[in-house]
Parts: sequence; structure tokens; C-alpha cells
Amino acid sequence: MTPRSAALALWSAGALLAMPAQAQTMRSFTATRGILAERQVIATLDFGAGAVRVGPAAASQLYRMEVRYDADRFRPTQQYDPRTGILRLGLESIGKGGMRVTSRSQLEQTGNFAFSRTVPLSLSANLGASEASLELGGLTLTDLTVRSGASRATIAFGSPMRGECRHATFTVGAGEIDIAGLANAGCREVRLEGGIGRATLEFTGAWKRNARVTVAMSMGVVTLRIPRGTGVRLDASRFLSALSADGLERDGKTWSTPRFDEAKRKITVELNTTVASIDVDWID
Amino acid sequence: MRVGRGALRALLFLLVAVLPSPLLASSPDNPVATVAHRMRDLLPLLEGLSAPAPQAVQADAQAPTVNPARLDDPARLERDLRAALRSPISRTRLNVVGGRARIGHTSIGSDEIVAGHLVVLNGDTEVHGRIEGNILSLDGNVTVHRGGIVIGDVLAIGGRVRMIGGDVTGTMQSLEAVVSPAEPAPSLWRVVAQRGAGLAGIFVTLLVLGFGMVTFGRPNLEIVSDTVSHSFGRSFTAGLLGQILLVPTFGMLVVGLVLTVAGALLVPFAVVIYLLLAVVAILGGLLAVAHAMGETITRRRMARGLVVSPNAYRYVLTGLTALAVSWIAWVAVGWVPVAGGIIFVSAALATWFLGTVGFGAAILSRGGVREHFAGRILPPEMMTDEFLWATPQFGVPAVTRPAKDPQ
Repeated sequence: MTPRSAALALWSAGALLAMPAQAQTMRSFTATRGILAERQVIATLDFGAGAVRVGPAAASQLYRMEVRYDADRFRPTQQYDPRTGILRLGLESIGKGGMRVTSRSQLEQTGNFAFSRTVPLSLSANLGASEASLELGGLTLTDLTVRSGASRATIAFGSPMRGECRHATFTVGAGEIDIAGLANAGCREVRLEGGIGRATLEFTGAWKRNARVTVAMSMGVVTLRIPRGTGVRLDASRFLSALSADGLERDGKTWSTPRFDEAKRKITVELNTTVASIDVDWID
Repeated sequence: MRVGRGALRALLFLLVAVLPSPLLASSPDNPVATVAHRMRDLLPLLEGLSAPAPQAVQADAQAPTVNPARLDDPARLERDLRAALRSPISRTRLNVVGGRARIGHTSIGSDEIVAGHLVVLNGDTEVHGRIEGNILSLDGNVTVHRGGIVIGDVLAIGGRVRMIGGDVTGTMQSLEAVVSPAEPAPSLWRVVAQRGAGLAGIFVTLLVLGFGMVTFGRPNLEIVSDTVSHSFGRSFTAGLLGQILLVPTFGMLVVGLVLTVAGALLVPFAVVIYLLLAVVAILGGLLAVAHAMGETITRRRMARGLVVSPNAYRYVLTGLTALAVSWIAWVAVGWVPVAGGIIFVSAALATWFLGTVGFGAAILSRGGVREHFAGRILPPEMMTDEFLWATPQFGVPAVTRPAKDPQ
């Protein structure tokens, strides 16, 4: 055997032994359930990576879930206990490998989730590093918690919510979150907790009740968009933070609109910011 | 007979295919949708011997067990069911907790009541009657017809759940079958070609950048290159420290600017400039290393008697080629198990090492401005009287040029 043929044989043997690249398997999963006599649904939604949409379901449906996911890394989760009303939807990591960086293939995952308009819903959404779009108008939300990591989330209340919303908590890690139509939501308490990122709270829509807003932000930009004519009072505890609040009068650590007590619609904002910028924009 | 069956199948297929999908997706009471679904259901019946004969699955103490009481982990259920399948499928044995299993197309009549769970393998399930339990289907659709009711959940793995006027009190789930992997594994030649193209692209890019630096910033490049040659170890140390401090320095810069009210406005510019300087230092340093390597190689060749043109362009080209040698080896034999990984790690380490040296040299020479470490400034102790002897510029009478010889 000549050296050339030996080298060729070695090269061919190596080619046969070479491991093929692992192909990615995308699968679709659908789950739906009709309404029977449910009084309340306590839902947890987990969707770590990809594009996720949340909205109202068809009239006869209690919930609906449609996901397209990377079957090599995730599995769909759908658990519902009709006795307690506890519902768990989303994707669960299989747990392959330790530390992973989100790849492009993971971002191809999509999820569509829908909930009944009529059954009271307590929703806790963990969105991880996904691109989220939540249209919650028309739902009967009692409590809402949205946790968003390194992602961009758009939450809209396009129409007035049914029922009485007690709390709405939004937690953003290092991403952006836009919340529009908070007046339609009519939640008694709105809380925003943010790390490095940008957050916009827009209080548009049909006014249901006065709101109490708590903002805790570090190294970020918070914009409050409030309809003109609304009474606003800001209690600010700031560290290295800039506050731009045109139209508000300062009294120590409190900024408020003139004749705040006489306003028909009131928003009380408690600010706790560190190295952040807070802007108050008026909407005509 | 065969022609007739094919023609009938084609006709049915056309009828079903022509029907617009919105009709099929409409309410269960829609008669058009009902007819379409019924015709679709006929198609598998014409598939001849491909579908297994309907039969019950025998239970066996040694056979695997599946529990359809909980259908909330379809991936695990699919894995368990597929592991239980045997070839031919009639040899499959399965124990179903609280229910029974069947193979092939299964129909529950309108006057039939099934108490317990139902598992159907490799076939469609038609429900006209009442099932008091969950339905778990593998590689088949589940259709609940008018009057049919399932008191429980339905999971179709590799199929769909359809409602044609029936009712399901629980959750309906469909898990799409795995048809084929998204992409086949690329061929070896394709892998090599892709890696080679990537390497060639990087090489050409660096070459263009290097020639640009020679053309427009040759003095700076040569000073950094001389720093690499004369202060190699010091450059590596500086480069290593520079890499470690790169991010903290960036953070301090941003925080420092934010803390000053006026400086906060400069943060975007500072970020851009800092990143730009870092990239220039790293890339310029690497090119300077290539320049130094090329110069050394060229001078050695000249010392052996070869006639080459010693210019900076040649230095950069030669040095980059030398840098690329390890990566060329990876492109050629990187697919070999173990050895390919070792070659890749070696090439990456060598590139990082040289890049660190270049980065350090760029820092030491302040981007090719300071010559202290370039071996160009002689220390005073090396100065001899010859160097210290000042040439008088004034007061020395010029020697008269001798007159020309008149002859």
C-alpha cells in the first residue's frame, strides 16, 4: 500500500466514523378543553424561548394551546385539574445539557394560548427569552403575573376586562415591556419590577377604578403614559435617577397634579428607582 | 379491479382536496364538513393491506404497561407505546391499566358503552357510542361523531382529534407525528467546503484589512509589529491583563459617565468609541503579529539565498498564511472524531495566543505611537562615544576645494 492510498483509506475511515450533525425535530402539539361548569381557572404558562401569543379563546373553549416546539430540547405540558381549576400549560425543558445559550432553532418555536372570556382567570406567565404578545382585553382576569426575562413583551388590554382584577404584576429582567390599555384592565394594584430594560405603562381605555401603581426599577427607563386630566401623584424614592414630570408639582419627594384630590380619575404611583430614568407623558 | 380502485381513490381524493379548508374547520353541525370527513375516513380503507387487521391486543404479564389515566405527558406516553410495538404488529402485547387496547381501525357503535380507557394502535378510532374513560391513540385519528360522547380525555399521537357533533368532556390533545428530521446530516464534502469557504472569507477580509493598514498606517503597524518581536512576553502579559480588564473598564466607564449628569449624554458615544477601539486594537494587533511573523519568515528565506522582495505587503500576506495553516488543517481533517476536536482546540488556542500578544503590543505601543518596547530606542549604557560625539554645525572652516588641474 502506497502512502497516498494509505492516507486515502485513513481519510475514508474517518469519514465513516464521523458523527452526523444532530438534526432538529420540530413538532406540533394542540390541546383544547370545553367549558363545563368551571368557576375559576388558575393558570400557569411557561414558554422559555420562541414567539408566544396569548388571547381570548372561542366561546365554547375553556382554554386552547397550540405549540410548535423543538422536541429535542422541550416537551409540551398540559395539566388541568377540574376539581381545583389549576391549569399548567407551555413547554418544559427536557434538561439536556447544563448551561445552554439560546440558539436560533429555539427561537423558531411558536406558541398560541387562548383562555375563556367568561371563566375567571388567574394567569401567571413565565416568558423567559421569548417574544411575547399578550392581548388580554375581554378576559375575566382576577390576577395577572407576567415574568419576562431577556425578551420583548407587548401586553395590551384592547377592550375592558370583565370581572374585577385585583393585582397585575409585571417583572422584566433585561428586556422591554410595553403595557397598553391599563385603564381597560382596571386592576386595583399594578406592580412593575424591572432590571436593565425599558418599560412603558399606558393608562388608556375605559376607566373602571382608580389605580395604585408600584414601580421598582434599576438601570432602566420607565415611561408612564397617562391621559390628560387624570389626577396623578408620584411618591418617588430615587437613587441616581432622573424624573421628567411636566405638569406635576413637587412637594418634597412627592409630585402631583394640581387639585389631585378633586380629580375624578386618580393614579397613585410609588416609584423606587436606582440609576433609572422616569418620564411622565401626557396623552391628549 | 386495480384500475377501478385507483380511479375511485383519485376521485375521492379530488373531492376532499377541492373542498376548501374553512368549510372543514367550521362547526361540527356543518353538513359539508361532515361529508368531507366521512369521505376522508374512506381513504384509509382503500389502502389495502397497509393497515393492520383490527384486533384486540393481548395482555401479558411480561408485556409493558401503559396507564392512560393521565394523558398530560404525551411525549412519555408515545415513547412507551412505540417501545411496546412489535413486528408484525399482531405480536404486540400491552397491559392497559383500567382499560383495554386494540390494533387497527376501531369503531364504537352507537349502542355501545365502553367502561374504562381505550388505547388504539395504528388505526383510526370512530366513536358513535359512549366511552367512560380516556382514549389514547397512536398513529391514528380519533373522530367523535354525532351522538358519541367521551367521558374523559382524548390524546391522539400522530393523528388528530375531530369532533363531528360529538362531545368530549375532558381535554382533547393532538401530538403531531415525527415525519422526518428537519434536515439531513450534511455530507462530508459539504462540511469541508463550507468550512473552507468560511476560512477563505476570513483570510481575504484580514488580508484586505492588513493591506489597508500597510497603505494608510504603516508606521503604526511597524511599531506594533516591532513591539511584538522585541517584547513578546511583555506583550502577552499586557494582552492577557487587557482582556481581563476589558469588560470591567467598560463598566466603570459607563457608570462613571452615568454618575455625572453631563456625562450621561455621552454614554452612547463612549460605548461606540470604546467598542471600536477594542476591535481596532484586537484586529490591528493580530495583523501586526502577522506582519512580524511574515517579516521573520521572509528574512530567513532571504538568508537562505532566495530572492524575494522584502516589503510590508509580503510580510502581512506571509504572516496571515502562516496563521491560517492550523485552520487549514482543521478544514481538511476536522471531521475526524477526536483528532478533529484536538486540531480545532489547538488552532483556536494558537490564534487566541497570537491575538493576545498583538493586543498587548497594541496597548504597550499605544496603538503604534510609542516606541519604548519596539527595540528602537537604545538605552544610555549602550551608547558609545561614537554616538555621543556631536557633529559641530558652526565654527568649522570649510576645506577649500582643490583647484582643478588646468591640464
